[in-house]
Amino acid sequence: MPRDSLIPFDNISNEDELTSPHRGRERSQRGEKRDGVYEKKKKKKVTSRRRERSGVDEGGVQLEHERRDKEKRKRKRNTVQARGEGEENHKEREDERKSRKTAKLGKSLRNENSQKIQKEGEEEGEENQEEETEKKPKRKKKHGHSKKEEAEDEGKYELKEETQEVEKKNTKTVAETGLEQESSEDTEEVHEEDKVDQEDHENQVRPCSLSPEELEKLKEAVEERKKLIQSLRGKPWSMKKKLLTLRESQEFVEKYEGALGKAKGRKLYAYKVIMTKKWMKFQRDFENFKTACIPWEMKIKEIESHFGSSVASYFIFLRWMYGINMILFGLTFGLVMVPEALMGKPYGSIPRKTVPRSEEASAMNFAVLWDCGGYAQYSVLFYGYYNDQRAIGWLKFRMPLSYFLVGVGTVAYSYMVVIRTMARNANESGVGDDNSFNFSWKMFTSWDYLIGNPETADNKFASITTSFKEAILEEQENRKDDNIHLTRFLRVLANFLVLCCLAGSGYLIYFVVRRSQKFALDGLENHTWWERNEVNMVMSLLGMFCPMLFDVISTLENYHPRVALQWQLGRIFALFLGNLYTFIIALMDEINVKREEEKIIKFNITMWESNLYNGTGSENGTTVSPIIIQPADVPRGPCWETMVGQEFVRLIISDTMTTYITLLIGDFIRAVLVRFLNYCWCWDLEAGFPSYSEFDVSGNVLGLIFNQGMIWMGAFYAPCLPALNVLRLHVSMYLQCWAVMCCNVPQERVFKASRSNNFYMAMLLVILFLSTLPAIYTIVTIPPSFDCGPFSGKKRMFDVIQETLESDFPSWFSKVFIYASNPGLVLPFILLMVLAIYYLQSTSKSYKEANVELKKKLQTQNEENKKKNKQAALKAQLDLEEAQKVASQAPKPRYKSEKFCYNSLSVTEKCQQTKT
Amino acid sequence: MVSPAIALAFLPLLLTLIIRYRFYFVLFYRAFLVRIWKDCVTGLSREERAFQYVLTQATPGDPESILDAFDAWCSKVEFISNIGPKKGKILDRLLVEQSPLTVLELGTHCAYSTIRIARALPLGARLYSVEMDQRNAVIAEKIIRLAGFDDDTVELIVNPSDEVIPRLRSDYGIERLDFVFMDHWKKCYSPDLQLLEDCGLLGKGSMIVADNVLFPGAPKFLRHIRKSGLYEWKIHRATLEYSQGIRDGMAELVYQGIK
Repeated sequence: MPRDSLIPFDNISNEDELTSPHRGRERSQRGEKRDGVYEKKKKKKVTSRRRERSGVDEGGVQLEHERRDKEKRKRKRNTVQARGEGEENHKEREDERKSRKTAKLGKSLRNENSQKIQKEGEEEGEENQEEETEKKPKRKKKHGHSKKEEAEDEGKYELKEETQEVEKKNTKTVAETGLEQESSEDTEEVHEEDKVDQEDHENQVRPCSLSPEELEKLKEAVEERKKLIQSLRGKPWSMKKKLLTLRESQEFVEKYEGALGKAKGRKLYAYKVIMTKKWMKFQRDFENFKTACIPWEMKIKEIESHFGSSVASYFIFLRWMYGINMILFGLTFGLVMVPEALMGKPYGSIPRKTVPRSEEASAMNFAVLWDCGGYAQYSVLFYGYYNDQRAIGWLKFRMPLSYFLVGVGTVAYSYMVVIRTMARNANESGVGDDNSFNFSWKMFTSWDYLIGNPETADNKFASITTSFKEAILEEQENRKDDNIHLTRFLRVLANFLVLCCLAGSGYLIYFVVRRSQKFALDGLENHTWWERNEVNMVMSLLGMFCPMLFDVISTLENYHPRVALQWQLGRIFALFLGNLYTFIIALMDEINVKREEEKIIKFNITMWESNLYNGTGSENGTTVSPIIIQPADVPRGPCWETMVGQEFVRLIISDTMTTYITLLIGDFIRAVLVRFLNYCWCWDLEAGFPSYSEFDVSGNVLGLIFNQGMIWMGAFYAPCLPALNVLRLHVSMYLQCWAVMCCNVPQERVFKASRSNNFYMAMLLVILFLSTLPAIYTIVTIPPSFDCGPFSGKKRMFDVIQETLESDFPSWFSKVFIYASNPGLVLPFILLMVLAIYYLQSTSKSYKEANVELKKKLQTQNEENKKKNKQAALKAQLDLEEAQKVASQAPKPRYKSEKFCYNSLSVTEKCQQTKT
Repeated sequence: MVSPAIALAFLPLLLTLIIRYRFYFVLFYRAFLVRIWKDCVTGLSREERAFQYVLTQATPGDPESILDAFDAWCSKVEFISNIGPKKGKILDRLLVEQSPLTVLELGTHCAYSTIRIARALPLGARLYSVEMDQRNAVIAEKIIRLAGFDDDTVELIVNPSDEVIPRLRSDYGIERLDFVFMDHWKKCYSPDLQLLEDCGLLGKGSMIVADNVLFPGAPKFLRHIRKSGLYEWKIHRATLEYSQGIRDGMAELVYQGIK
């Protein structure tokens, strides 16, 4: 543009003096408008300087006045225009873009530009004009840059720079007049219009510094911009243009919103701005604080960025589990263990709370304690320690009732939480469940945006490409349909192999359990540590190695990794379940053995007591003095409940140990070896044969779930189990986080864990159910031991409730309860529930159908729209072709002049608009 | 004494290992056990045996049939780590695209890859093949001549690569290498590449192809090309020659020079 180059030449030195007071005013205005607080301090200085200067050049006062008037008029006009521009913004721009080549619009454009330059000279309407100018981006950058500098620099410097800038702008206003002359030489029409403009200027009344009308207009312009920002998303522009417009309009709004108020309003505005900024900052900090408060959030995020969301989902699951266990722990610890420890009878007061004489010597040995014998057995950690006293301590704490209710409550709470979470997850994942757009799904949704590690990103990239390849192949194969028999055969074969594996492992466990019973009959002391811990060892080892084998077998099937993961999970589930149930069956056998033993001992004890009584009675004759026997010497029953609890604790401990040891050996030691042996090995260990291990999501999740199942099963007989589990989860959180980050490599086929979370939940629910079954069975069917635990002396454990109802509640309540538990009432209630469930299910089914219908409708509508669009596009193309034909036929100059006429017309229209 | 049940519990692990790494076991058997056995029985080296087979099976003067004979021997009888037919096709494609005039091959071994390269070269191109082992070189010479390539097309240099490369400019008058193929000791990949860089034999656009960068693997080499920033590189993923399950890669580097 010639304008830019012209600016420096037209610098009239005389006018420098003339306009200097005016400049001062400008400066103050600008300052205020740009930024509220900082500039206000400066304002005083500036105004004082202005006074000085106005005092100095009194001669030019008259001239100055004239000039000021002119400027004001122009400004008013420009604000009007600015408003107009807001509306016609993009239209104009497009026009210009078209005209740029044809160049006859140059004059009118220049005219516009010149008007804008006037505005520039006055105040900061720059952004607006820059939209129109050709060198828009460049200048904008410059401007933004200078602005930043200003903001950064100190006050004095800023003052200087501003004065310089204002000078420049003044020169621009001068340049504008020169330009106008030039343009008038070029074309008469434009000149005429200018004249009209000038007339317009003169017709206007002289306003005060910022008239309410102006404010109104400015406000409107700001509103306009705001609207534009809001509706920008729907505009059919290119992204670049959108961004540009957005930025410009945002700046505009930011700048002028504050200027709208008066002095007080400005202050308030500045205050508001500061407060909003502070508030935003605070909010951001608060968000950060909140994330910092979520336990292990940062760690999980880091892992997520390295390993993708499937690995992270395991850790999130682990955290969730930890939370649940904390609550279980709180319940058992707060309502069972602590009251018993504080208020119950102390250790050594009664036989069930004392280590028997025969075991006293070895009760403190580590091996015994590790096996949960000795002092560990006779403590609050196990069922047998609790007394059957109805109320303990000064609080009259109903210990047996509390024990029972906590046992039931933990399970009920777990059910509730799991089901609630499942329902929530189902809501979240209910959408987008169709496979009809396989490739578009792959195309647009396969990236995992949480990945932040280049290696993982590479892997993800590779996996996406391979998945595309595979999907294409799959499609082809679907059409061919010839290889399906082989895959089917392979899948059946794989399942057969897995079944063999399961049967083998089940038999092994059964065999081991039978052997251990034999050992138990022989007496455990005669056998080695290996033989005594055989069951646990074998169970842990099988639980560890069989999944590996399944993994290898599953490569036969050639499933998608997400499907493969689910199969894998199912198989491991079956394995663990089989192992667990074999274990439980063995336990049941043992319980029966213990109960036989108990009968004998009970008989023996009565004999012993009567002997004792008879003996003392015969000595003392009439008076029955209390017989003092050490509680350690009293013979006692085997207490099968404690035995069950001990078994579970042992199982948990050995399981935990195996997990940690595998982690250390399989991951850490391997990683160390691979890393450091690689320097002196004949092949590449890292990329090739042993390599680093990958994180095994399915195995770990299932380990966690089954661990939880064992907790639920055993928690009734060993109140310490939740505490143990919390400890274990806590440690394993840190250990596994460390191990993953330190020794594992991202999976080669990184995939998103989109809906597997609910799969975990479903498995957890199943396990919960399956683990509560045996517990409930033992509670309901087997009578409690006669001499240990809170329910000793009762026929069944749940008799506690009846007892409480009878003695602690008024008689009408128990009556009501009895009526309520009448089968005549209970059965209809259950029937009602079943009906309700059925009703809900059928409604949900109908909703689903409706959903499918709607989806179909949407699809057809889309297709129709597509057709319409296509037709429209075709029509447009035809029109365009015709127009091009016409254009090629018509002579060029005529065409030009036509366009030019049109443009000038539009300009006159605009002028009219401004007039009105 | 560990009880038998516990020992049985380790059976799945054993099975897993065997199944997962079966290809490596097969490779071990074919590349080492069979080789040692045959060495003892026949008294000939592996390369001599291969040569005998090629002599009996292939038509002289026809590189294609010689390559086929090699492939047949390597996949059915014994194992020699040639580039193999699959990766060989990639190599052919690269050569045709590049049509280099000066080619350096490091590691001739049995001249399988030499024949493959020489076959794809344009007229007037020259291939320098470097082999360290004297006995292999003799056989390679024979096979090259059998395929019908004369001294003008293929020049065999019998010396370790780290001695040859610095003398390429002075002794053989090479100014710039258009194409380098590496298939010698995997440990030498990285130092040899650095030597090539230092001697200034690589110009902008020179292509370097290195075989077996994933298995047996040349981690230092990969690290070097990643870090140096002198190359545009990618790895063609494939399986190890004459074996299905072992993944291997062939690195393709294009020298970009210092920007």
